[in-house]
Amino acid sequence: MKKRSLISVAAAAALAAASLVAVAPASNAAAKRITLAFQGPLTGEEAQVGQDELAGMLYAVKLFNAKNKGKYVVRVVRADDQGDPAQAAKVAPGIASNTKIIGLVGAAYSGATIASLPFYKQRLLPMISPSATRVSITDPSSPGGALGVPVFHRVVVTDKVQGPSLFKLATKGVSSPKVFVVDDQSAYGVGLVDYMKPSIPAGQSVGFDSVSDKTTDWSATISKIKTANANVVIYTGYFPQAAVFFKQLRDSGYTGILAGGDGVLSPSFVTLAPASVLEGVRLTAGTVPLADISSKLEADFKKKMGKASGVYAAESIDATNIFLSCISKGVTTRQAMLNCVKNFKGKSLTGANLSFDANGDVAGGAMNGFEVKAGKIVFTGPVK
Amino acid sequence: MIGNFLDQFWSLTFGGLSLGFIYILIALGYTMVYGVLRMINFANSEVFMVATFATIIIIRDVFNFTQTSEYATGFRLWLILGTALVASMVVAGVLSVLIELVAYRRLRRMNSGILAPLISAIGVSMVLAEAVRIMTDSRPVASPRAMEKSFLGKFFDADVRLDNTIIIVAAIILLVILLAFVNKTRLGKAIRAVSMNPSAAKLMGINIDGVVSITFLVGGLMTGAAGFFYVLKYENSSFSIGFELGIAAFTAAILGGIGNIKGAFYGGLALGLLETYASFFLGTQWKAVTVFVILVLVLYTRPNGLFGEAMTQSRA
Repeated sequence: MKKRSLISVAAAAALAAASLVAVAPASNAAAKRITLAFQGPLTGEEAQVGQDELAGMLYAVKLFNAKNKGKYVVRVVRADDQGDPAQAAKVAPGIASNTKIIGLVGAAYSGATIASLPFYKQRLLPMISPSATRVSITDPSSPGGALGVPVFHRVVVTDKVQGPSLFKLATKGVSSPKVFVVDDQSAYGVGLVDYMKPSIPAGQSVGFDSVSDKTTDWSATISKIKTANANVVIYTGYFPQAAVFFKQLRDSGYTGILAGGDGVLSPSFVTLAPASVLEGVRLTAGTVPLADISSKLEADFKKKMGKASGVYAAESIDATNIFLSCISKGVTTRQAMLNCVKNFKGKSLTGANLSFDANGDVAGGAMNGFEVKAGKIVFTGPVK
Repeated sequence: MIGNFLDQFWSLTFGGLSLGFIYILIALGYTMVYGVLRMINFANSEVFMVATFATIIIIRDVFNFTQTSEYATGFRLWLILGTALVASMVVAGVLSVLIELVAYRRLRRMNSGILAPLISAIGVSMVLAEAVRIMTDSRPVASPRAMEKSFLGKFFDADVRLDNTIIIVAAIILLVILLAFVNKTRLGKAIRAVSMNPSAAKLMGINIDGVVSITFLVGGLMTGAAGFFYVLKYENSSFSIGFELGIAAFTAAILGGIGNIKGAFYGGLALGLLETYASFFLGTQWKAVTVFVILVLVLYTRPNGLFGEAMTQSRA
């Protein structure tokens, strides 16, 4: 019953579209009609993430359609997976078999991506995810090889890149770094340290500590840091503990550099400690708020989309722009799109180089650097 | 390692002592009630948690501090600290008395045994923690800094910091007042009498319910002070810290011998120092393990804790 009414709605919509085309100016009739899709949570508890990413994609498409009036009309099909692998496995076959769709921005979540991949691989649908960060999707050493090859790509970098980048940012401008690294015993924190370790030059590491995220008193760790005479302290964990730790460390008289990863990058972070304590804290993250790239861009986004941009807006726009640039090169099929994406070379919104390696990971994509200045987290550009 | 430890010995010791005094004050909340009723008031941990929020509200909302405010100095600073301390103590004391009235009194009158009040206590803890969780959106809440954490000077190699010093001095003053109250006043004598033999105390005309309320009040006042000191030292709180600190303070009370003020004192100090030293030597991840191994070893030789026997002799 439900299905039939859906079909009739679709038919009505198709009729309406046809009649619209009929009255459109003659020049538009020659425009090439291209379909892309978005997959992510559009309803349910995680809907905010998906809706924000979709808005990013629609923004990029809107600009493209306006710029290429008469040449191309790109439309976006929405696939709602609720961020849930089970739901993703239900919507993916439909998207995969709709051959009009030649590119998919998504899926937003790693679990949903993995559940959808068999269908997209079978029908060779190129994917670019703005936010699926699980390492195994593109890691050839994971059991069964990289899951996503050849269709999966992502413009967001993983902790494999974040580890070394965080170290690089933390030690930037320090002539003889003595780095002390503290993790929070979580899978995220320990993993980040593991990815960081191989990139630490000999003699620059003076100690590691692993501290439960339930810790309230950090004096033992602080004593170790002082004994080790560290001048750079990196914390791989989340912002609530980071604020407490950094506060106690500064209060103990430590004057060196403080740094953390994307777990610390939260607007709440700066509300948890006095501004003077957090001044100069260096942070890395794969994402960057649109407003931090340019306030003009954010204002335009707000005007066109009717709401402020959310998390991963920049990444969604980057992902969409890759497809759009291929479209403007004349790509109309999935196979051509896949080749075009694989050979893509361009710039991201932040100005970093953007291209993919053989496994679909962003090759030139850099981690973004941030610094706390006067109680605000300020974007300082890609970590180079 | 040993050389490093000696270098850091005094600064670790200061940190451990100020943490220890916070444990002592919470442990007193458990121990006072246990001394009189032979009952573990598990809700005490949440009384502590509520007290930390009382302090934060005074500093942040009453005195309008933010993370970018200038630090207070002189008279204004002492006014703020004094108000926050008194407010936390009063809130915690009143809350403790209310908990006794609502959750324990009727059970006690009906001679419900030990298990019913225990569950009732856990229920009260959950209600308080959940209520605060909902009000704070499950997020940690930071207290803006009102007092600069300045260094007063050096003790051997360690920096002596203002907040740690205030905690240690103020906690000692509170403990002296508490001991004087329990040992020198009529009410204190009544508390000790009920602790030793409730039936005999009743026959002597002591109002048991009144004494129980006073005991909860005093335990709550001490726990409330701990809430203030905690925020002064760590400047944050969350709905879950009651559980974390509560377990530690309860351990301290057991280590020293529950039901005994002296026990809470030495248990709290021992725990604060042990945790800090163990974290330094073995890594913070081994802190809890070390503490519990030592606790088991102590209980092995002294099943009632370090001062467990003294309970029925002189102190509540």
